[in-house]
Amino acid sequence: MAEANAQPSYPTREKVDFVIVGSGAAGGIMAKELSTAGFSVVVLEQGPYLKAADFKHDEWGYDVNKDLTWGARQGYPQTFRKSVDDDAVTRESVLDYAHNVGGSSVHYSGNFWRFRPIDFMEASVRGPISGTNFADWPITYDELEPYYTKVDWEVGVSGLAGPWDPPRSREYPCPPMPVKSSDVLLERAAKKMGLTPYPAPVAILSQPHNGRPGCIHCGFCNGYGCEVNAKSSSMASMIPLALDSGNCELRTGCTVSRVNTDENGRANEVVYWEEDGREQSQLAKAVVICANGAETPRLLLASESEQHPNGLANSSGVVGTNLMFNGYSTAVGLFDEPVNAHKSVPATRVLHDFYELDPSLGYYGGGGIDARHFSAGRPMNAALAGGLFGDAPTWGSEYKKNLQKEFTHTAAFDGHTTSLPLATNTVTLDPNVQDKWGRAAMRTTYLDHPDDISTMKFFYEKSMELLDVAGATKSIGSYTEEGQEGNVHLLGTCRMGNDPSNSVVDKFHRSHDVENLFMVDGSSLVTSGRGQPTMTIMALAFRAADSIIQFARRGEI
Amino acid sequence: MIDTQLSRRAFLRSASGAAKGSIIILGLPAILVSCEKSKKANLLNEEFSVLSEEEVQEFHAVAARIIPTDETPGATEAGVIYFIDNVLGDNREAEHETLRIGLREMQAAAAQKFNMSYFHELEPGQQDQLLTEAEGTPFFGTIRFLTIAGMFSLPEYGGNRDKVGYELIGFEDRHAWQPPYGSYDADYAERGE
Repeated sequence: MAEANAQPSYPTREKVDFVIVGSGAAGGIMAKELSTAGFSVVVLEQGPYLKAADFKHDEWGYDVNKDLTWGARQGYPQTFRKSVDDDAVTRESVLDYAHNVGGSSVHYSGNFWRFRPIDFMEASVRGPISGTNFADWPITYDELEPYYTKVDWEVGVSGLAGPWDPPRSREYPCPPMPVKSSDVLLERAAKKMGLTPYPAPVAILSQPHNGRPGCIHCGFCNGYGCEVNAKSSSMASMIPLALDSGNCELRTGCTVSRVNTDENGRANEVVYWEEDGREQSQLAKAVVICANGAETPRLLLASESEQHPNGLANSSGVVGTNLMFNGYSTAVGLFDEPVNAHKSVPATRVLHDFYELDPSLGYYGGGGIDARHFSAGRPMNAALAGGLFGDAPTWGSEYKKNLQKEFTHTAAFDGHTTSLPLATNTVTLDPNVQDKWGRAAMRTTYLDHPDDISTMKFFYEKSMELLDVAGATKSIGSYTEEGQEGNVHLLGTCRMGNDPSNSVVDKFHRSHDVENLFMVDGSSLVTSGRGQPTMTIMALAFRAADSIIQFARRGEI
Repeated sequence: MIDTQLSRRAFLRSASGAAKGSIIILGLPAILVSCEKSKKANLLNEEFSVLSEEEVQEFHAVAARIIPTDETPGATEAGVIYFIDNVLGDNREAEHETLRIGLREMQAAAAQKFNMSYFHELEPGQQDQLLTEAEGTPFFGTIRFLTIAGMFSLPEYGGNRDKVGYELIGFEDRHAWQPPYGSYDADYAERGE
């Protein structure tokens, strides 16, 4: 590798071309694209720059202390309520995302299903759903396809092209991951049922690619950072290229409090705290917010001013609404032989035969099923959930005996499903609870639409049937009948659209209200897809970057 | 606060129904091992940062019923009590208070039902009876959580000594695997599916 350029140090009182807020799935791509195109870029990231050598198989640290995701312990309480009629209550986990360079792309599972053509036009095809904001996207699959392919090759995706895939212009760069026993069980059962399982596309390298090594199958993907850089986070794949450009300054430990506007209503300054609490602000010609579907609306709402009384970019009142999580169901089966689903990547097969549920069922929905380990392969979590089947005890000698088989002889068939966009599902500022900076805490109001719950139930039942066909000797499953109370998928809160009255950004991710302000992340999604959004978030980021570069070069920002 | 439900998959546990605690009488050797370790814990009292000597004895005894020592090592061998002391000392006064309150109630029950002042002085069957009655309380939820966490978390937090917890469930702590991972993918490869 050529000698890296020195990271620049831009004066805060001189305008850089772009400030990017957040360095995650979208922010990392934006940083790489804009800086390598020759623009001066400052990236503000609230977390530290953790690298492969910093990550450990540390359940207590990551899952309980929340070393990566942060919570009340780190000074960031969040509150939750199901509806505006309830009091919002402080919770340990509501909206979980990693606070580090690369954001949640560092600790994600890396399941990289593309959205399909139907996802972008489903409202037209299926018809409206009353009481929801179900809508078509302002772009089509074909417009996004080149950028999905860019993600495949530049970020790094392993998979097998086939009739199961949505249309693609190029092969995957890496072959699929070796099949796991849990997925053999799923595949065989699915085939018996006349279904079409296929190798799961994952953002984890099965072989060396772009100077990064292949996966060593350690099993700690979901919730953990990859210790060898085989996982295709933006930290591993994009940030190094941004820093090598010599045009990108990455400022870590910087928590953005607001985006200011000038007398013309244009974004011109991003205010933030450094780690030690010192307030700083960076002047910029344009601002790209890639802070995620929770932080982005929070920042816009917190940036209210006389010119923008409802919050920045919020003349529509839509900022923070239409929050979508994706639904989830699980079914765990016990098998006679060792499965060892805790080894290697979360899933190596997926079923998309139920991508669109039959409308005659009487509700809207769809999703996919893959096979996993019920505790994501984590020993402590497995033992905490121990006593899985029937009336098995949850402590004592018999509990202890059962743990071994529960850990090594089970497979979980998980459903990943749609969420409908609702005006009532929101991220707002809590008037009663503050974080360590004295900012209003993030308040989530969320209740799954009845169709979303019906869809989860469908996938739960289908997974139980698959377990039965697969030969499970015992099984148990669940879905959230009463609605979810938090998630890691943070979607839809600054949705894109052509109509400024019901969307926040246009099809190029430009704010309808503020012409030099862009929002690019999970908040841009119009619909939820089928449960694996990050591939689409990354493709949108590449596409948005292309547009922003063209606008900037033409003097249109 | 510790989220005793921990993961989004933990709803499985509630879905599996309330646990019916079974009465298990340990074999004599196991009890002796347990007592031996317990004495050691007392001897090492100066190493405890937040637990009192009484709490060490009592929580140690509770942990030894949640994950007993039988044919395989349990909470005692894993050093769960050291883990509990360590993590309670890490800014978890609320959880410590939950345990204090629960312990007083447990001791009151021991006095009332068995005429004994301390949980650790009870017979294992009596201990299990009290713990079964405590299921569903914040005390039981917290001590179960901490016991299991101490058994299965990284040894650097004070428990899971010699990785006895990992060994117990068949988790080999290594960083690289190659297929076949289990029986079914081995068979799949053999058949060329």
